[in-house]
Amino acid sequence: MKKKQMIGALLALSVLLGSMTACGGKISTTGGGSASTGGTSAAAGKGGLNLYVWTEYVPDSVIQNFEKQTGIQVNVSTYSTNEDMLAKVKSESEGAFDIVQPSDYMVEQMIKQGMLQKLDQSKLTNLKNISSVFLDQSYDPGNQYSVPYLGGVAGIAVNTSKIKDQITSYADLFNPKYKKSIVALDDYRAVLGMAARSLGMSMNETDGAKIAQIRTQALKLKDNIKLYDSDSPKSALIAGDCSLGFCWSGEIALAIKENPAIKIVFPKEGAYVFFDNWCITKGAKNAANANKFINYMMDAQTAKAVSDEFAYLQPNKAAVELLGGSYKNNPAENVPEDVIQKGEHVKNLDTATLAKYNAIWTELKK
Amino acid sequence: MSKHKFRASTLPVLATVGPVSLWLAFFVAIPLLYVLVMSFCSIDENYNVVFQFTLANYRNLLDVNYLQIYVQSILIAFFATAFCLVLGYPFAFLISRTFQSRKTILYMMVIIPFWTNSLIRIYGWRTFLGASGWLNRALTALHLIDSPVEFLFNRGATVLGMAYVLFPFMVLPLYTAIEKLDQSQLEVSADLGARGGATFFNVVLPQTVSGVFSGCIMVFIPSLGYFYVADILGGGNSDVIGNLIERQFQSGNNWPLGAALSIILIAVTLLLVKLYQKCGGDMQSLGV
Amino acid sequence: MRRKKSERLRRRAGAVYCGLIYAFLFLPIVVIVVNSFNATESKPYLSWKGFTFDWYGRLLQNAALLDSFRNTLLLAAVSTILSTIIGTIAAVGMFKYRFRGKSVIDALLYIPVVIPEIVLGIALLTLFATVNIPRGMLSLVLAHVTFCIPFVIFNVRARLDGYDQSIEEASMDLGVGRLKTFFHITLPVLAPGIGGGALLAFTLSIDDVIVSYFTNGQTKTFPLKVMESIKSGVAPDVNALSTLILVFTVLLVVLTQSGLIRRLRRKR
Repeated sequence: MKKKQMIGALLALSVLLGSMTACGGKISTTGGGSASTGGTSAAAGKGGLNLYVWTEYVPDSVIQNFEKQTGIQVNVSTYSTNEDMLAKVKSESEGAFDIVQPSDYMVEQMIKQGMLQKLDQSKLTNLKNISSVFLDQSYDPGNQYSVPYLGGVAGIAVNTSKIKDQITSYADLFNPKYKKSIVALDDYRAVLGMAARSLGMSMNETDGAKIAQIRTQALKLKDNIKLYDSDSPKSALIAGDCSLGFCWSGEIALAIKENPAIKIVFPKEGAYVFFDNWCITKGAKNAANANKFINYMMDAQTAKAVSDEFAYLQPNKAAVELLGGSYKNNPAENVPEDVIQKGEHVKNLDTATLAKYNAIWTELKK
Repeated sequence: MSKHKFRASTLPVLATVGPVSLWLAFFVAIPLLYVLVMSFCSIDENYNVVFQFTLANYRNLLDVNYLQIYVQSILIAFFATAFCLVLGYPFAFLISRTFQSRKTILYMMVIIPFWTNSLIRIYGWRTFLGASGWLNRALTALHLIDSPVEFLFNRGATVLGMAYVLFPFMVLPLYTAIEKLDQSQLEVSADLGARGGATFFNVVLPQTVSGVFSGCIMVFIPSLGYFYVADILGGGNSDVIGNLIERQFQSGNNWPLGAALSIILIAVTLLLVKLYQKCGGDMQSLGV
Repeated sequence: MRRKKSERLRRRAGAVYCGLIYAFLFLPIVVIVVNSFNATESKPYLSWKGFTFDWYGRLLQNAALLDSFRNTLLLAAVSTILSTIIGTIAAVGMFKYRFRGKSVIDALLYIPVVIPEIVLGIALLTLFATVNIPRGMLSLVLAHVTFCIPFVIFNVRARLDGYDQSIEEASMDLGVGRLKTFFHITLPVLAPGIGGGALLAFTLSIDDVIVSYFTNGQTKTFPLKVMESIKSGVAPDVNALSTLILVFTVLLVVLTQSGLIRRLRRKR
């Protein structure tokens, strides 16, 4: 016993000393300005910016380029669903994050809750690059609080080397023969919305009887879903863990690049459609930098670099010109307009309804 | 030991025990009480917690779906514990007695994996067991299987993951208990002609039972909460109680419900600890 | 003769069994090490594209990853030091003095040890959110010290169990002050327990995922960075860093072990 503790003490000491010397040098080279060591306040000095964005959505190279151009140090945190983001921003002190990236309905929700601040339109000189189709949406008329970043649908991915049937609809995913073969978004509004669409209902039903039907339908999916993954569903498709996917169109596009046997299907019921946006939080400590960043993201070259890495629907028409045919002719990336038109957006529902949705979700995932 | 104690004048007590008392009050007692209070609160339409008394959160917990997840979580914890105990006991015995001369290094080798982040080790299992993972590829290459075996994204995978991350917590108390075994008693038992089995049940087990209990507690309780293992290896199909709590504090945006779930988890924990103490378990051995 | 043979056979079977257990423990680590040399460029970095050392070089360019590692070391060092100081004097105080409320403190001490980490995590989150303690390194230190203190106290206490207070009394009788006695008499005796506690605290802090997950704000520790990178497939540079950490710790163990052995030999 004594010996063991001796060794423990020695180890502890040497580890402590080792770690101090190992990191000591580096700390002095980067100085105190490191955004990541001081949490919320560190980046607040001169030249910081705290981003809170979706996983697998903003390329590192684009952020590094911004840092190089402006000298602003960017600190990136990521989230997996709109609701996760909302929860975290609410629990943090005000202005802990400067920029968030909510989808359409979440923009509306955050405006309603007074969590966003108006953008400085005078700084957004690149707004002209954005196609008017994506501007002035119902969730934020006049784009006072948000500008579009990327969009897409929650489509169906089919690995045609394993699935020989014609898949045309969300309803096809409910076929009992696809037991344990689907990778689905880990996002309750998306999965339950999909179940609703497959019944010809809206993703935003509030009627109790209809919700009960959606529940019955959703539970049929239980045996078919092998894995829930919102962050990188392409991994399971590429690795062959799953032969069907219910996931973001951009993820499917990337999976196709890795494995051409994978195809994207736009459900005939009309897909889940989303636009994600740049917003600045209320009380943001680096609002000026945030406006600068958002304008930078709307630059044609930047937007092109984004599309080169993450294959979503690009609202930046100047970037689309730069991207050319490889983008325009790729339906997984440049989702056809009729698909967008026919699709449906998630809307904000009251907390009582959402609690019902959450209960179904728990039942589905247990 | 000297029975004589210094007269407890206030100053030295305050100076020594004061800081820890304040710390425990602020960061253990108050937060937990606050969770208890919150479990009786409601949320408004903006998901903010409002201090309006309700039992609704606890009523929700009685929902059959939640009950099934508790059962599932307890089963996962049970199998993970059993797995660790069955594999860990002989192992601890071997490294502390049979290979006594090298026991320090053997012991350290149980600790070393610990120093690599547990998340990335769990992900290592995913890489190993995936459809195009190492194991499946090896089996395919050996023509033992035609199509990949599905090891991942089920309860079994979650049990494996829990057992893996918590295995050392089983081995270390067992090791300590077995190390203390009285060698002469073992010899007497053997000299009296007792067979291995009899010696084990009459001499070895009773002397090491405390190690068994503390090992079980230290594996079982954390496995109820390790949501990331269930996420990474279970693929979201085999949630444990930890997942339920995490979800309410994240996407669910319902802290009071999450608080109520936590209270249930605390209750389960206290129950188990009471049981442990009833069985003669020593609290101190859980922390050393 | 036969007995010896069966004894040898038994040992061999035991060795095989232990080997299998170690294989189980080290298998994911082998995966990590191998993948740190994978020349793949595309997410999720699973298929083997040949051997390369590149990722070890690129690791140095990954500022966010290195930052997270530095945060982890800083956090672990600060938490270890704080919890060791608070824990040690508390253990001594609780051993020496009788006072009211001792049993309450005792009970509170066990809570962070036995309750699942997620409960402590959300409890601290709700507290920090309510009293608005900014989330970041500060909140992380507060959280980590909380779960480290009990382990330090238990380790020191185990050492105190056999402690003879009469030397202390003798020292004080000779007119040495209370503090001086503490530093010169008490502390050296307790050193192994303090060291053991500190080691445990450091280990727990460095590997903590769950409590940090709820209390970190935007400060990323290495485990949280790993959690983030798992979402999109663990990049080989994360594997490379993990491999380096592993090599470092193994070297440390080997060095301390051999140092110990040498000292023992000299004594003989």
